[in-house]
Amino acid sequence: MSQTVLALQDATIQFGGLVAVNKVTFDLNKGDLFGLIGPNGAGKTTCFNLITGVYKPTHGSIKFHGQEIGGLPPAKIATRGICRTFQNIRLFSSLSALENVVVGAFLRHRTPLWTALACLPPALRETKALREESMRLLEVMDLADEAHTRSSDLPYGKQRRLEIARAMATRPELILLDEPAAGMNPLEKEDLQSTVKKIRDNFDMTVLLIEHDMRFVMGLCERIVVLDHGEEIAHGPPDAIRNDPKVIEAYLGEAHS
Amino acid sequence: MKFWVVRLVSLAVAFGFAFGADAWIAGSMPSAYRLAVLAGLFVTLAVSLNLINGITGQFSIGHAAFYMVGAYTTGFVSNQFYAQQPLGQPMWLIAMALLGAAASAVAGLVVGLPSLRLRGDYLAIVTLGFGEILRIVTQNISQIGGSYGMNVKPFGGPVQTLWVVLLLAFLCVSICRNLLKTAHGLPFVAVRDDEVASSAMGVRVSSVKVTAFVIGSAFAGAAGAMLAHAETFISPDMFRMDVSFIILTMVVLGGTGSITGSVVAAVVLFGIPEYLRTLQDPITKLPLAVPGQALLGSLVAVGLTVWGLREVSRRVHGNVQNRAVAYGGTLLGGAVVAWLFSVVFGLIPQIAALKFDVNMLRMVIFALTLIVLMLLRPQGIFGHHEFSWRWLGGLLGRRPREATA
Repeated sequence: MSQTVLALQDATIQFGGLVAVNKVTFDLNKGDLFGLIGPNGAGKTTCFNLITGVYKPTHGSIKFHGQEIGGLPPAKIATRGICRTFQNIRLFSSLSALENVVVGAFLRHRTPLWTALACLPPALRETKALREESMRLLEVMDLADEAHTRSSDLPYGKQRRLEIARAMATRPELILLDEPAAGMNPLEKEDLQSTVKKIRDNFDMTVLLIEHDMRFVMGLCERIVVLDHGEEIAHGPPDAIRNDPKVIEAYLGEAHS
Repeated sequence: MKFWVVRLVSLAVAFGFAFGADAWIAGSMPSAYRLAVLAGLFVTLAVSLNLINGITGQFSIGHAAFYMVGAYTTGFVSNQFYAQQPLGQPMWLIAMALLGAAASAVAGLVVGLPSLRLRGDYLAIVTLGFGEILRIVTQNISQIGGSYGMNVKPFGGPVQTLWVVLLLAFLCVSICRNLLKTAHGLPFVAVRDDEVASSAMGVRVSSVKVTAFVIGSAFAGAAGAMLAHAETFISPDMFRMDVSFIILTMVVLGGTGSITGSVVAAVVLFGIPEYLRTLQDPITKLPLAVPGQALLGSLVAVGLTVWGLREVSRRVHGNVQNRAVAYGGTLLGGAVVAWLFSVVFGLIPQIAALKFDVNMLRMVIFALTLIVLMLLRPQGIFGHHEFSWRWLGGLLGRRPREATA
């Protein structure tokens, strides 16, 4: 039987009187391609922020491999094996594409800081190894030609892909993609679909993604959770979601249901 | 292999430079020892602040406080042990540098920890406040001289101090350089660029910030220790807020984040006022004075030249020769304008009667230099670039090799 990677149980967060995410419960199994959708302001990104430790849940639990991670600092959660991309791209703008990815890979560094300050061979070897490994990831994401370009000089679509490469460099078990296809043209979106599938199959990762483009989500994800006003309104395979009256109501308004 | 060759060449050049500076100063003007020591200290201060401010992006403007902690701690300790003289001169200086570094590292930790929650302007205010508090507290402790200052009994002569200072500056530069050369430096820059994203990538933002503060302030402390032993007198007035600002100016002017920039800006900014101070009239040997028309004429010319250079940088593109001609032409034009205007102003008797002492004007010239440089190169002298042997090779005409991954 497949193994549960991430389990949200009644995860709730409240900002003053506003309940941004209310009792959301879902499980992710190993190797899932899981979609999180909902209208604007439904609490999708807040949900990501809960999982990655940006916010601490007010109630409920978030378990990763059976261990509670709700409220741990983001860096700890990244070390446990959850990494994410951002809706509004957050690359390290003064670093090159390659260096951005090395920051992700640096999570696994072993040499202490003083060996680097003294410029000793172990630190140099490690730097070289991390750079080579990051270079391979750039190749996977089709960015090898841009390795030495400043990340802020990259075109938008490549910045999105670079964010995914950077997150993959931490070798997460679970990768969270926040609107990876936003602003891409149909051709780029198709490319991205196959890339995400490739990530899942070749790198043994579980993927949870937020996306507004319905065709993209329906074509890619095997299971979907729909949020509206912070509440989970539907949960199931794409076909069931597509025909769920509650989902149609949330997206199009009551008259259409 | 190539790596070690480059390292050894760098080390050899550094030693060559130190020997050369030593010999040159001893030969031509022994009075410049003090200036060389101070220039070396400012290099150390600027490069260490660059680590905190430029590389890690923590806007700290209390660097003089760490400088002071190093100076006072070692000054006090030195005075206690002066009677016994437990170590030889150079060894004692090195020991004092280490002690100053340790004391300031603790101070850096104390500032670094509560500052973790603050960013940008707020952090600047806290560091500024910290600096002022420390200075005023020192001013009111009579055991260490209070506002009269404290005499530090010197262990080393100026020669040894210069050597230790150069060693310190070299060490500070190499440590920062090594950090940026290895993957360990990337999290520091990542924290500067985006804290949220770095923590999501597993970077422990707090420990990176504190590390930067501790290393940066340790070097400032070692510099303070050397100051105390080179000057043999320290007072709270030597560590006022404006010292922090000068160091910050060096970092920004050199190009925030660029180590080379900090070094060059430290030497230039320290050098300009000191150089102007020594200017003499070649005939009368009195301090150099300029007539009013020359001063006004050059002010007009500087303004026009800055405007011209900006226009050139905006409009003239293409190959190096074209640009060189355009820039050279603008500078030449500036000189002609200066001459023309000084002739015109000379016709006005009230202006021609004025005499300005360059020594008196040195801070004005200093400030003008800052303004002109910032107008022409807002990104700093070096921007984000660094000196490297490969770059030098390219400059000398050898084709630089393709950058390797």
